[in-house]
Amino acid sequence: MKIRFPIACLCVLLIASAAAAGLLSALEKARPRPAAEAGAPWLPPAGVVRVMSLGYHALAADLFWLRTVQYFGEHIQTDRRYPHLYRLVDLTTSLDPHFLDAYQLGGLFLSIGRAFPEAIAVYRKGIEHNPDRWELPYDLGRMYFLDLGDIPAALEWFERANRLPGHPPYVPRMVAHLRTRAGLIEAAIEMWERIRETTDNPWVREKATQEIRKLQARRHRGAPVTTGPTSGGKEGGAN
Amino acid sequence: MKTVAVAFNTFREAIRDRILYSLLVFALAMIGGSLVLSTLSVGGEVKIIKDLGLAAIGLVGTLIAVFIGVGLVHKEIERRTLYVIITKPIRRAEFVLGKFLGLAITLAVNVAIMAACLLLLASAMEARLTSELLVPIGMAFLKLMVVTAIAILFSTFSSPTLSAIFTLALVVGGSLAKDLKLFAASFGGPFTQAAVSAVYLVLPNLAALDLGGAVVHGGPIPAAAVGLAAAYGIAYVAALLVGAIWIFQYRDFK
Repeated sequence: MKIRFPIACLCVLLIASAAAAGLLSALEKARPRPAAEAGAPWLPPAGVVRVMSLGYHALAADLFWLRTVQYFGEHIQTDRRYPHLYRLVDLTTSLDPHFLDAYQLGGLFLSIGRAFPEAIAVYRKGIEHNPDRWELPYDLGRMYFLDLGDIPAALEWFERANRLPGHPPYVPRMVAHLRTRAGLIEAAIEMWERIRETTDNPWVREKATQEIRKLQARRHRGAPVTTGPTSGGKEGGAN
Repeated sequence: MKTVAVAFNTFREAIRDRILYSLLVFALAMIGGSLVLSTLSVGGEVKIIKDLGLAAIGLVGTLIAVFIGVGLVHKEIERRTLYVIITKPIRRAEFVLGKFLGLAITLAVNVAIMAACLLLLASAMEARLTSELLVPIGMAFLKLMVVTAIAILFSTFSSPTLSAIFTLALVVGGSLAKDLKLFAASFGGPFTQAAVSAVYLVLPNLAALDLGGAVVHGGPIPAAAVGLAAAYGIAYVAALLVGAIWIFQYRDFK
């Protein structure tokens, strides 16, 4: 009797667990997969999340950043459309205004999605909250140079990055390239190489590799450095 | 000396409480889980570990302080051991202080275990000793002292359930004190603003003791800011303990 009871419990436990796993699997197959638009992330206003997080808003920012990365990852593999990306990045950076990676990668993700005005807004917000960091004006300058082909705006932001402490040696090199308008393709290749070396994101790495190949092909043809839109350049330099 | 004896007795009693171990395991799982979460991120991996680790220390420490703190005095009344204690040559103030110190020691041991786990993880991720985390961990401990003092204050005159509700309400209010003031400044009239300012000054401003944000981002923390925050925390704890002793002193146990 004493042995039978645990054996019976174990049998029921195993059968119930197997049944639950099987049913869950069947349920996932039976349920229609929501379209990308239907799966819009839950995005409450930053003020609400700030209050709800009871002082742990940096942690809330981390959780929304994870959601941002998942959202970008899901869509870059499927429809390559990112209608909620800006709001996710904005919410993350509103909850933690000093979250540098969120500005840098959020701006890069938005520029990959060709949402340039939103990317500019993200970089500018980051610069406003972190005026001593060289990385954000540098990234904004890089976007003006590589994506928008706006050399004067790019130069202004690179010069601003160059004035800030802690900048690496390649920043003044970029300033020199852009001032003389010489070796622009080499400068662009070097920038994409830096991105490829430093990113952990496979899609960003792939994008950098593709851009390097394009630029190398252009160098052979003697074409200009970028064919990107120039209208974004009107959105401003380093004021 | 009598205070120390009560403190160690309270500590021995607290470490027998199963809830303590459940919460500690939960905190360690949260800190360990941060490693898994960080692998899902692109950028900010170490930040996630530090934020989650500091949040685990704060949240679990608060739960330990509340759920053990609110029963400290009430249990002695319920088991009638208090009637024996107050007939001994021990002042009521010494008894309350001993209870507070006993829970403070319990929390110190728990915070030390959680902090060691967090430091180990963060140091391994950054390949250097992340000793700068000791400042926000120390401030988190001070925050827990404020919560413990609130719990003990309510415990001197109320039941554990009501004490837990009051303490948690004050902790939530204290966490939102700054937002409350900003809200009143934006929407309220002069009377509302004055009333909210008074509430703001009375509530424990727990956000003032939170220095995790600056440290996690590698920013400098002025020694004056740490000193002032620590002085604020100590002054608030002292005020709460005086209040608790005062109430307990005049409480009739007949």
